Amino acid sequence: MAQDSVDLSCDYQFWMQKLSVWDQASTLETQQDTCLHLAQFQEFLRKMYEALKEMDSNTVIERFPTIGQLLAKACWNPFILAYDESQKILIWCLCCLINKEPQNSGQSKLNYWIQGLLSHILSALRFDKEVALFTQGLGYAPIDYYPGLLKNMVLSLASELRENHLNGFNTQRRMAPERVASLSRVCVPLITLPDVDPLVEALLICHGHEPQEILQQEFFEAVNEAILLKKISLPVSAVVCLWLRHLPSLEKTMLHLFEKLISSERNCLRRIECFIKDSLLSQAACHPAIFRVVDEIFRCALLETDGAPEVIATIQVFTQCFVEALEKENKQLQFTLKTYFPYTSPSLATVLLQDPQGIPQGQWLQTLKHISELLRKAVEDQTHGSCRGPFESWFLFIHFGGWAEMAAEQLLMSAAEPPTAVLWLLAFYYGPCDGRQQRTQTMVQVKAVLGHLRAMCRSTTLSAKDLQTAAGQGTDTDPRAPAQQLIRHLLLNFLLWAPRGHMIARDAITLKEIRPQ
Amino acid sequence: MESLLQHLDRFSELLAVSRTTHVSTWDPATVRRALQWARYLRHIHQRFGRHGRIRMALERRLHNHWRQEGGFGRGLVPGLANFQALGRCDVLLTLRLLENRALGDAARHHLLQQLFPGPGVPDADEETLQESLASLARRRSAVHLLRFNGYRENPNLQEDSLMKTQAELLLERLQEVGKAEAEGPTRFLSSLWERLPKNNFLKVIAVALLQPPLSPRPQEELEPGIHKTHGEGSQALVHWLLGNSEVFAAFCRALPVGLLTLVTSRHPALSPVYLGLLTDWGQRLHYDLQKGIWVGTEPQDVPWEELHDRFLSLCQAPSPLKDEVLTSLETCKAQDGDFEVPGLSIWTDLLLALRSGAFRKKQILGFSPDLSSV
Repeated sequence: MAQDSVDLSCDYQFWMQKLSVWDQASTLETQQDTCLHLAQFQEFLRKMYEALKEMDSNTVIERFPTIGQLLAKACWNPFILAYDESQKILIWCLCCLINKEPQNSGQSKLNYWIQGLLSHILSALRFDKEVALFTQGLGYAPIDYYPGLLKNMVLSLASELRENHLNGFNTQRRMAPERVASLSRVCVPLITLPDVDPLVEALLICHGHEPQEILQQEFFEAVNEAILLKKISLPVSAVVCLWLRHLPSLEKTMLHLFEKLISSERNCLRRIECFIKDSLLSQAACHPAIFRVVDEIFRCALLETDGAPEVIATIQVFTQCFVEALEKENKQLQFTLKTYFPYTSPSLATVLLQDPQGIPQGQWLQTLKHISELLRKAVEDQTHGSCRGPFESWFLFIHFGGWAEMAAEQLLMSAAEPPTAVLWLLAFYYGPCDGRQQRTQTMVQVKAVLGHLRAMCRSTTLSAKDLQTAAGQGTDTDPRAPAQQLIRHLLLNFLLWAPRGHMIARDAITLKEIRPQ
Repeated sequence: MESLLQHLDRFSELLAVSRTTHVSTWDPATVRRALQWARYLRHIHQRFGRHGRIRMALERRLHNHWRQEGGFGRGLVPGLANFQALGRCDVLLTLRLLENRALGDAARHHLLQQLFPGPGVPDADEETLQESLASLARRRSAVHLLRFNGYRENPNLQEDSLMKTQAELLLERLQEVGKAEAEGPTRFLSSLWERLPKNNFLKVIAVALLQPPLSPRPQEELEPGIHKTHGEGSQALVHWLLGNSEVFAAFCRALPVGLLTLVTSRHPALSPVYLGLLTDWGQRLHYDLQKGIWVGTEPQDVPWEELHDRFLSLCQAPSPLKDEVLTSLETCKAQDGDFEVPGLSIWTDLLLALRSGAFRKKQILGFSPDLSSV
């Protein structure tokens, strides 16, 4: 407790100084500085209140003789009053100072003065005398007309911004950049007030005609923060503008997504989908610039984690959501595929973007062979224009999990011999870095397992042990080896699709082959 | 039901007293009771918002109060003027008490304790008084920030947010008064005319007459079928203007020409009266042979330029107004003798000026013979 009070005294000095400099926050610098410190000041006020409420008013004055000044300065700073709950906490603090039974004129005067401050916080502004007289004359109190006045001002400003955006060359109607910047600063404390949403939206979407960015950094940060904490709800178009104009916001949103995924215990695909759709990333990614940044971050994550399956799963869910959003948004593609996937051939991208579910089973083999061919060509063709090599092709391929699924199912269920092309595809999926020889070996190994599994498909009795035998020996093989991963995938598929697979599922799940950890 | 109405009566009295020095006699217990009453009425508002009969009964009682206190002619509006106000009666009461310096220290202290208990478990179903007050304070700062950091007066008055808000309030009040008493709006407007700054009032009336019809507000609990429109309010305004020639004359002189044209286009009932005024103004001017221009006899007479601008603006309005104006001018010209030569009838000259588009004095002078040299 003693340490707390020492901290409080230090903070007190700091804030007293700050408030003196800020005064009524009427200049650009004071406004910017105030905006930067709004959240911290509110925290300080909370701590102050916790300390003050334990004391009676005389003790308060003894302990913090200049507290009245500090609170008054805060009251006269409209940015502070407008922020979140600061006005409420200020009122609480002021109430702590009121003397229930003033003993002398000094105490009475203090009471009177505090009353004045409370009035200032709660009562109407006297800025327009005629307006005040008019509303009073009609018998309206501020509580009656403030919401309406705020709404009208917000809508009027929003429509002015929109007009400025559309009529760029009509210089009479132009909004001076300083005015727009000023508006964005003023919105920082007001971001979580729903009445102001139309103005925030207009500021984001209408970017006028200046070559450089006018809006203040603090504004973008505040909006993004509010979006992440779900304290504001904006349409996707506004969020897209935010991310296009302020890259750090987009990066922060991605990091926030990763944090959420890492911190939650088990992430089923449905939950990942929820997180992604919630964050609006997949919808915003319809804009190629955003897609590229997001993809780049995924690429980095994949490389850093050495191809961790969780990251791959996230990428796949993201891509699925993205394709869904793309279909919903444009009936015809506004941007060519090359803008989204610049490092691979458009033909490959087009084929992969198809919906696997939309392809009739009879054509699966054909499609898979085609994909395999294209990929093989891209991977093995060293003189290809793109200098990014096999990694880009593989990276593109893993975006679309549906094809690997289809390939595995095809291999298991089809009566014919497993086609080399499909085997190659899966071997490539799990082992992109393998050399030609290594990959061929994997394919051979897997073919053998497949043979066993297909035999088991037809047998009437099944046991988990059979599955183990089919998987083959190899207690010392690395479970992360491509062959092992692929075999595991096939085993799981077997359990799902084979006629009697689900009966041995429970026993089988515990097998080392299926769960390597 | 009767007890509820009595409760309403007592609270209305209480609200009226809360502004006076009488509150110096209040002790903490009185304050507590007052807040409880307010809370009860607010609860009533929530509970019976959709209940047509009870709502109407309460509103009728409140309107009776209003009438009894001197009616709409005195222009004083009581704190609780309609059912909607019940939803905010606690805020109304507390703000009045907080601003009243006569309230004793102990009572004030108790009041503040009740209003701002500090952080705690929020009331599950309704917004607490603390939250309402904090939210009011926040919105007030928002208005302040926007006003001084981005707001600019809109040259088109009907789009200016301050003007619009005042206009909306006026129309709302008028509709209410109209519901309470058929002749209410006229008397109410006359009393406002006596009391309020006239220039601002006239501008607000113009803006009110140009407001688009409202759609029902979703946040109010209205019985289906009761739609708040601006229609009745506008009609009341037009009716009042037409019945008060002095006000109408001031209305026409004070407003920007373009705005007046818009108002007249929107409310055709006003155009004959406006044209009548213009005709009167025109007839007061005579032609000065020496100077070769139309002048008035008294300083407050409307000068030629203004008259011309007004007619020009009206002729740019869409039909039927435009046609009406031209017909009126033609009729006046015919009555004067149907001259084609300038300098004999002001109506001829106006028509000439409007048709040729030459509205500078000099060009008109160019047509008139310089008789002084003869």
